[in-house]
Amino acid sequence: MGMRKKPNPWLLVSLGNPLRSDDGVGPFLLQRLRQQLGHSVEYLESGGDILHLLARWKDRWVCLVDAMISDRHTVGEVISLDGLQDPLSPSLCSTSSHGFGLAEAITMGKLIDSLPIRLDIFAINSENLAKGEKLSPTVVKAALQAEQLIIAHLSAVSGGPQCTSRA
Amino acid sequence: MAAQRKTIKVDYLARVEGEGALHIDYDDSGIQEVKLKIFEPPRFFEALLAGRSYLEAPDITARICGICPVAYQMSAVHAMEDALGIKPTGALRELRRLLYCGEWIESHMLHISMLHASDFLGYPNAVAMAKDHPKVVKNALEIKKAGNALVRLIGGREVHPINVRVGGFYKAPSTNALLSLQQQLEAARSLAEQLVCWSATLPFPDYEWRGEDLYEFVALKHPEEYPMNEGRITSSRGLDISSQEYENHFVEEHVAYSTALHCTLKARGSYLVGPIARFNLNYEKLSPRVRQLAETLNFKAPCINPFQSILVRSLEVLYAFDEALRIIGDYVMPEEPHLHTKPRAASGYAATEAPRGLLYHRYDIDKTGKISAAKIVAPTSQNQKTIEDDLRLMLPRFMHFPEDKLRGLCERAIRNYDPCISCSTHFLQLHFNDGNAEKT
Repeated sequence: MGMRKKPNPWLLVSLGNPLRSDDGVGPFLLQRLRQQLGHSVEYLESGGDILHLLARWKDRWVCLVDAMISDRHTVGEVISLDGLQDPLSPSLCSTSSHGFGLAEAITMGKLIDSLPIRLDIFAINSENLAKGEKLSPTVVKAALQAEQLIIAHLSAVSGGPQCTSRA
Repeated sequence: MAAQRKTIKVDYLARVEGEGALHIDYDDSGIQEVKLKIFEPPRFFEALLAGRSYLEAPDITARICGICPVAYQMSAVHAMEDALGIKPTGALRELRRLLYCGEWIESHMLHISMLHASDFLGYPNAVAMAKDHPKVVKNALEIKKAGNALVRLIGGREVHPINVRVGGFYKAPSTNALLSLQQQLEAARSLAEQLVCWSATLPFPDYEWRGEDLYEFVALKHPEEYPMNEGRITSSRGLDISSQEYENHFVEEHVAYSTALHCTLKARGSYLVGPIARFNLNYEKLSPRVRQLAETLNFKAPCINPFQSILVRSLEVLYAFDEALRIIGDYVMPEEPHLHTKPRAASGYAATEAPRGLLYHRYDIDKTGKISAAKIVAPTSQNQKTIEDDLRLMLPRFMHFPEDKLRGLCERAIRNYDPCISCSTHFLQLHFNDGNAEKT
């Protein structure tokens, strides 16, 4: 995640569905970070309209939070990735616009010159994506850890504290 | 000797909204059976509405679809207003039309750029197409962005808008807020014009509906405008009815292999709704600039090649920009954002033109405004049988194709209709058997 010229402010994006248990960890984290960071950051809770995301993230510094499922990591592990450099798994569903996922958005963004300047991803390895509004306890714990990592990351990369905590 | 029977199976249709499959049996004598199998689970929206306030109908039904929520909101509010005996006019009416323009742009552009265009150029998907045609995809996203901006401003957000209510809106946008979109809309209109010209150059399969194969086109018709929110339900074979009469002429039925109902015209069978039907029945109501461009491209109604639906959609996008700019230019903010509403025991009916075609709603409400019954007929339910008929008619002409090419052509033929399977599976029909007689 090297330094590149930063237009203010950061765009903080969550992906995921809060009605799908651990898949809601992105929106959960976004809400908490909104409380912590206030107006120093812009927020986008994306329900999956990747075309909208392509339009919004162009030429921005983007920090994206999402749930992931991987058997190569333990549940609750927080994985940070450089979305513009590190490979991401393609969407498992290729049958409709709903199956147009983050990896496809990045590929499309490269092709049509619609990429963010930087795309720092914080993904939380999850276990339960069934219907429901509750996060698994392990995932909640990981989300709190990710929250601190993201606040530190945004502050460090921006070159100073931007926190306007209302807590 | 019996003819050798062959089967085309597509277990999971690609690049359609929702989950469906296709099964076709054929032999040397022709097509024996076509089944568009929709296996997405039913979603019980009509039952969810029972017992809820008439004011909640637009927000509940909007959840049927993330691509055309405005259509559900529009049919719901018009039906409720029919029940209440009120009719928003002037700026409120125009704002609704403007909101619909935004949704047509969003929905059509999603289908054109992400799901359909790659069919004509031999790419498996939009990402692959973007490698060779980045400008087309980039422009398409810019056009869609302008539609998003319209829906966001009037509806409060881009998906599942929250500002629509029975009688009008919760809040009307200011004149300046609408004027602030003008520049973006004009720039996107210019891109949409290029898109129409590009769509016209696509290689369309040589297939046309002719003679007895020509479907009955069904769409709203309004004396003064290209239909969106209002008009009589008309057809190319002389149907001309009000929304109140819809259920006297159209009937829904279950088929064993689909969780979506099939809707047919009584005694006449399948029919076609959607952009081609609208275009064919309302061509003269398009803006002069759109008609002029269509004629320059030597493309006029009636459109009888279903593969050209992409060109019709792109013309409708262009029309939506013309109409949006006209409405914004004339707009004066209404004094009140909505009419006063007072519930009464009544039934209300409405049909509007969703991007994919006619969308019918009927509600019964009691004197307190609680919904006691609801019926919703989505465009994809109405086109399902036509899609099957289309495959039945089309395939004999392409039987010389190798099997994989034939399978691909079948999928393309389905995508011509931009089916939204998630919309079509909203129904609820329970069968009870108490041991004496079956009740529905």
